[in-house]
Amino acid sequence: MKDADQSHVFERVVRPHFDRLYRLAWRLTGTKAEAEDLFQELLIKAFGMLDQVVKIEEPGSWLCRVMYNLFIDQHRRFSRQRMLLVDEGHLPGEGLADLAGDFDPVADNERIEKLKHLDAALAQLSEDHRIIVLLHDTEGYKLTEIGELTGTPVGTIKSRLHRARARLRQILSEDGTFS
Amino acid sequence: MNSKNTMEEQELLKLLKDYPVPEAQAGFYDQALVQAAHQGTQRQRNRWLMTGFGSAIAAGLAIWVITAMLMTAPQVPDVDPAIPGVTIALEQEQTVRLVFASATALDSATLTVSLPEGIELAGFPGQREITWETSLQEGKNLLPLTLIALTPAGGELLARLEHKDRDRTFRLLVEVS
Repeated sequence: MKDADQSHVFERVVRPHFDRLYRLAWRLTGTKAEAEDLFQELLIKAFGMLDQVVKIEEPGSWLCRVMYNLFIDQHRRFSRQRMLLVDEGHLPGEGLADLAGDFDPVADNERIEKLKHLDAALAQLSEDHRIIVLLHDTEGYKLTEIGELTGTPVGTIKSRLHRARARLRQILSEDGTFS
Repeated sequence: MNSKNTMEEQELLKLLKDYPVPEAQAGFYDQALVQAAHQGTQRQRNRWLMTGFGSAIAAGLAIWVITAMLMTAPQVPDVDPAIPGVTIALEQEQTVRLVFASATALDSATLTVSLPEGIELAGFPGQREITWETSLQEGKNLLPLTLIALTPAGGELLARLEHKDRDRTFRLLVEVS
């Protein structure tokens, strides 16, 4: 297949899943710079496997699994050497910067403050717990979907989710968010 | 679970539902596709060449044939993808922002920045190594560094973080355009 044809076939298969993949990348990494890197790395890897990708029945789920595995590989690789480069305006917690307001400044401020506290509380969870609670409670993944994605038994995910929520409640209660 | 916990759980779930993900920047998906096609194709070719190279040796074929193919093949950049990189303009102050992720809060940590030749930290002319004491919070910590490239050579910037008997060194490739 010619390069241009390959690109078109690849785009046709992967583009419908871009928003889902970008959200997953963001949930896994927590920053725009890392999310974009992970997303890009996934596409490069998938393009190199184009012959296989076109034969996959559910490319979306497959791409999510590859992204998760890439994330885990990179995390293991960088766990002792984590340094990020961030651009102006792309700082940690940036996800809170563009929140749409409800035209009620007091309510908006209160909501944004609470979300900032949640952001800080999530940063205190272990990575396993943070990812599970975000995928389940924020992104709406089912336990079985998280199990397939992470290769973890559903029972384990359930107990981690329970512990993660309990820890978040504790942190947010102690810092006065739940008053 | 008592009623207080139940209310907190409900509030937590509501907050989590509301926890945002910014949309991708306009054009990011298109750029990512172009980059994937470019690099993915290179990887395919490189993989093929490496396979060809191994097979050639196994079969005892003339090495010069393979060498010629390698010489005409697209060059693989000799850059370690594990090291983040930044490009700055010559003789212009440019701030790069590094984020250190720390599992715990660290008081009285020592940070040493070692600069490659021809790169200076604004406010520290002529110094290739700058050390200061700092504290890190649990989670992500931002370190803005304003760099000036005096020559186009570029090189590797090292940031060494020491705390008690532990230390970590972070690397950043600085290229000058």
